[in-house]
Amino acid sequence: MLIAKLRFAARRVLLAAPTLLVIVVLNFGLLQLAPGDAADVLAGEAGAATPEYMVQLRQKFGLDQPVYVRLAKYVGNIASFDLGFSFRHNQPVAQLILARLGPTLLLMVSVLLLAVGAGVLLGALAARHLNRWQDNVISLVAVLTYATPVFWAGLMLIVVFSVKLGWFPTSGMEAVAAFHTGWTRIADIAHHLVLPAVTLTLFYLALYTRLMRASIIEQSTMDYVTTARAKGLNERQVLLWHLLRNACLPVLTMAGVQAGALLGGAVVVETVFAWPGLGLLAYDSLFARDLNLLLGIFFVSACLVVAVNLAVDMLYALLDPRIELR
Amino acid sequence: MRVARRTALGVLSAVPLLCAVPAYVVAQGTPQAGGTLVMVVQPEPPTLASYQSTSGPIGQVATKVYEGLLEYDFELKPQPGLARSWSVSADGKTITFMLQEGVKFHDGKPFTSEDVKFTILDVLKKTHPRGLNTFRAVETIDTPNPLTAVFRLSEPAPYMLMALSGYESPMLPKHVFGTGDIAKHPSADRPVGTGPFRFVEWQKGQFMRFDRNPDYWKKGRPYLERIVARFIADGSTRAAALETQEAHIAGFSAVLPVDVRRLEKMPHIAITTRGYEMQSPIVELDFNTKAKPFDDAKVRQAVAYAVDRKFVIDNVWFGFGRPATGPINSNFKATGLYTSDVTNYNVPNGVDVANKLLDDAGYARGAGGVRFEIVHDVTPYGEEWRRFGEYVQQQLAKIGIKATLRYEDVPTWLRRVYTNYDYQLTNNWIQTLADPVIGVHRLYHSKLIRAGTVFVNGTRWSTPETDSLMDRASVETDAKKRATLYHEFQKRVVQESPIVFVHELDFVTVHSKRLQGFLVSPLGIYANFDQAWLQK
Repeated sequence: MLIAKLRFAARRVLLAAPTLLVIVVLNFGLLQLAPGDAADVLAGEAGAATPEYMVQLRQKFGLDQPVYVRLAKYVGNIASFDLGFSFRHNQPVAQLILARLGPTLLLMVSVLLLAVGAGVLLGALAARHLNRWQDNVISLVAVLTYATPVFWAGLMLIVVFSVKLGWFPTSGMEAVAAFHTGWTRIADIAHHLVLPAVTLTLFYLALYTRLMRASIIEQSTMDYVTTARAKGLNERQVLLWHLLRNACLPVLTMAGVQAGALLGGAVVVETVFAWPGLGLLAYDSLFARDLNLLLGIFFVSACLVVAVNLAVDMLYALLDPRIELR
Repeated sequence: MRVARRTALGVLSAVPLLCAVPAYVVAQGTPQAGGTLVMVVQPEPPTLASYQSTSGPIGQVATKVYEGLLEYDFELKPQPGLARSWSVSADGKTITFMLQEGVKFHDGKPFTSEDVKFTILDVLKKTHPRGLNTFRAVETIDTPNPLTAVFRLSEPAPYMLMALSGYESPMLPKHVFGTGDIAKHPSADRPVGTGPFRFVEWQKGQFMRFDRNPDYWKKGRPYLERIVARFIADGSTRAAALETQEAHIAGFSAVLPVDVRRLEKMPHIAITTRGYEMQSPIVELDFNTKAKPFDDAKVRQAVAYAVDRKFVIDNVWFGFGRPATGPINSNFKATGLYTSDVTNYNVPNGVDVANKLLDDAGYARGAGGVRFEIVHDVTPYGEEWRRFGEYVQQQLAKIGIKATLRYEDVPTWLRRVYTNYDYQLTNNWIQTLADPVIGVHRLYHSKLIRAGTVFVNGTRWSTPETDSLMDRASVETDAKKRATLYHEFQKRVVQESPIVFVHELDFVTVHSKRLQGFLVSPLGIYANFDQAWLQK
């Protein structure tokens, strides 16, 4: 059983390699279409530059070479797990991404757990009280939070909970003037995590709630539910032991797909709350035309999405033993 | 050996500075030691290599670590910095700097004339975006002893003395940067300077930390225990951080004008527009003078007449600015370089004058009252530029020019305006800096019509007369004669109107009232903060 699982995982990873290569080449090509280059931006930020300085910059960045040479070099580097060098930051891309990966994963995982957890709970609750007031309230709240722009929700949370009530810090990942260490630091980071995580959760929550509700309604007409009721289980037991597990499958699929979108949606939250994540780094590097860094982030995101989807497939088998991994 | 002889003892070097500061910025009460200053810097700088980039955010943090040979007072007169005195020879071609005694880099090694020589000749003159120009005339630097540096110039360069602040020309340790490739030096992001604060760490995307330098050469300074620079990408969040006192200061209009007007009413917050006198930004409309219809001076003048400066300042920039008259900022009044005696386009009946000019230029009104159509590019540096663009669009409609707005991102816009010249009219803002040679010449000199180089002469307008005026002014050591040259220059440029000078933009610093003594020179936030302190 375990061996089968491992073989499955290994095959999926092998299959992912050509996909990733296509992604790299496509991204590279697309980014070449953007007008202006990193030298323009750097000199633009400097506010002034001499022509000699611009030539120096372009030589340094390798922008004086033809596109195909740069592409070949880049793919070669990626193949040897070298993400290249960001001239803008004067640091290897891998180092830059690694530093931001932690905060991104922290936010992403918190949001996924919160959103899926709360979504499943609320969805189940709504389905159990179908068309009664509980269902209506939950559905209304879900639609409202889904329709609220993320940046606005974030700013409102800051206004209420930071500026007015003073319960949470406005922004950042930790109290920078304090330089906490050990457990106080962890508590401090958790304190800073609350508002950004809640903001993003509010948005995704709606999706999972609706999905879960629909899924339970659909599943409750199935034969196995009738059987469960026939053998004398009450509604609560039916829901917990039989329905929930089956109804979770589509939610899980969605979560896998959403993992990629979460990286993108996080840009807004990272901007509003100054959360030092990958999304913000990607956003900045796009406008700075820091292509090496941007390609590196795309590559890492693609890897993350592949990994999350693999994990979701494995979870399927766990939730529903009838699904075979092959 | 005459002209600018000025001497001060090391410890007393800040005294002339303090005298020049207006009463309200002088610290109230006795400075208290200790405390962590949190400053908001927007956007996060890409590197800390201030010797390679003049980018504002880099300057705001790197100046706490690196110092320059000179400081400046509010009259834009040089004051002692790492150089305790200096003298310029009669022919203007030899400048001798005497350095402060007992100055040490953060790694404990002494600061000497060798470091000056290395920094100027091997770093700034070679790789600094403006240094290539500023130090062009410096042929060699003699170092007769560790505390004397003698600059030998090929021609007089009076503007050079305006470019020696810690922001513009930071002094680097030769023993650190002398080895390895300066372009991507490993110490770039771990700066070692002589300044009042030592670099400790940089968590990218979050903050930079600088701790007090206990061995700082000015005894008893700095007062602050630590400076933390924070990066917050969202404007509203930056305002909230100042409101909740999580941060103490944000400069360069990092707090958006709309929030400034709200925050300034709060009891614990103050604002100031001082401390930008060496940046002197001007908001302008740039024409492509090589293509119809703006190849005609009459058409350009018509646009200049159509813009109501006061309206723009009050409604788009919330009152933060003063009407501009020409290419040189009125901040240069003190040095005599500025004149307001130029063609005045800011007149009440501007629209009528403009219409008449366009009639004369042969652009008659056609169907729907439209003379011709243009695309008006909007510089991608924030919301206010769109509002400004919309206003100009309305005004142009009044004079029969139908304008369509185009908004692109920074690299695209830079490429369009400074490489491809594929534009007709764009709004823009230019920092005219501490001396016209450094900040102004680039926009008008025929030598700086260079495709691919940003923020130079993108209008491609030039005349042999204005070129000659600039060339003469760059080597003129007599301040009066130099001023006369620039007055003539301003008249000619304004008359020809290759650029509409709209207003002199005021940057705003929002700060906690607890923060004292940070505003001591026209360098503002680019100063080293050795006198800044936090009230308990």
